[in-house]
Amino acid sequence: MAGVDVGGGGKGKRRSLDSEINMIPFIDLLMVTISFLLITAVWSHMSRINADAQVPGPPRPDQEQEKVEPEKILHVEMRSPEKFTLVWKQGAQVVNSIEVPRKDDMKIEKGKKMIRYPDLAAKIQEEWKNNHNHFDASDRKLDQAVLHTDNETAYVYIIGVIDAIYDTHRKVTLPSGKTDDVPAFNVTFAVN
Amino acid sequence: MPIAQPGRRLMHFVTLDFVKKRATGHGRRSPNANLSLTSMIDFLIVVVVFLLMTFSASGETPPNKGLILPQAENTLDMIDAPMVSINGSQILVNGNAAGNTHAIEDNKRLQRIDELFNILKGKREVWKQLHPGKDFPGVVVLQVDQDVPAVVVKSTFQTAAFAGYPNVSFMVNQLPKAGH
Repeated sequence: MAGVDVGGGGKGKRRSLDSEINMIPFIDLLMVTISFLLITAVWSHMSRINADAQVPGPPRPDQEQEKVEPEKILHVEMRSPEKFTLVWKQGAQVVNSIEVPRKDDMKIEKGKKMIRYPDLAAKIQEEWKNNHNHFDASDRKLDQAVLHTDNETAYVYIIGVIDAIYDTHRKVTLPSGKTDDVPAFNVTFAVN
Repeated sequence: MPIAQPGRRLMHFVTLDFVKKRATGHGRRSPNANLSLTSMIDFLIVVVVFLLMTFSASGETPPNKGLILPQAENTLDMIDAPMVSINGSQILVNGNAAGNTHAIEDNKRLQRIDELFNILKGKREVWKQLHPGKDFPGVVVLQVDQDVPAVVVKSTFQTAAFAGYPNVSFMVNQLPKAGH
């Protein structure tokens, strides 16, 4: 048995403010709580990778359209099994094009496939440093990357490439005033 | 002859003290050990507090059974949004059937999935009625099996965009960051 002192005291024949708690049910309760929390705990945390379908807004005939020079967009071609092609385009004009050797080092653990493209990620980072549209922390707009893939490519390869594109980060000042590290690109798919 | 409790008999005939001690078991450490109750309760309370802090009452959305998600490093936290699952050829929206991918796989070309489109559009209308005057977030989460071909992923992506969900997120397993 263990005692719990809850203070008090004083003169006279008052009932003692010290009370005893039985340790056995107390430990039982702790054990049951631990068991419940362990059983209901989620150990594999799910996350998400964002993509944006570039859907234009409805036409606004009441507003005058400003002529805006098109931004440079990075097109990532993953159709070839031997190489990736990174093409910077401004409108229809090709600004720059480079090729990155493709190495599909697939790792399989308990049926889960994992593919990483560190060379592609490094090259995209280098390319972004040379061709970025948005760099300043106060500029919250992101550069655009378009992923081109053939129809047969398995989803796991697509996620590998999107992950490599999102590996390039830059500082952005949030509305709260804090500065955060965010991916420099926003990824979308080419429909062709 | 009185009945006596059987004891150890081994090596009893040896008169040496240290052998007797060994034989009777007195030289051995007791198998019972004292456990400090205070430390044990402290430990249990720390474990309870840790588990309570990491406990999520809302629960995490587990991927559908039989569906293997790919893994990625550069991810965002999950959000509350309609969940579109593609497992094999079946399409589900929040666990309810929303068509299949047979037509896309047969034709091998991008096309709109009408059943999925109608369900997502319906969900969008309901959201707008429930939240009048608010901007629709247009977010949908795709749970896609690792081996699903790109044409199915792109068709689903496009269908979601047509139904008013341009912000498409792909559910993945979080990988620990390497080298950051």
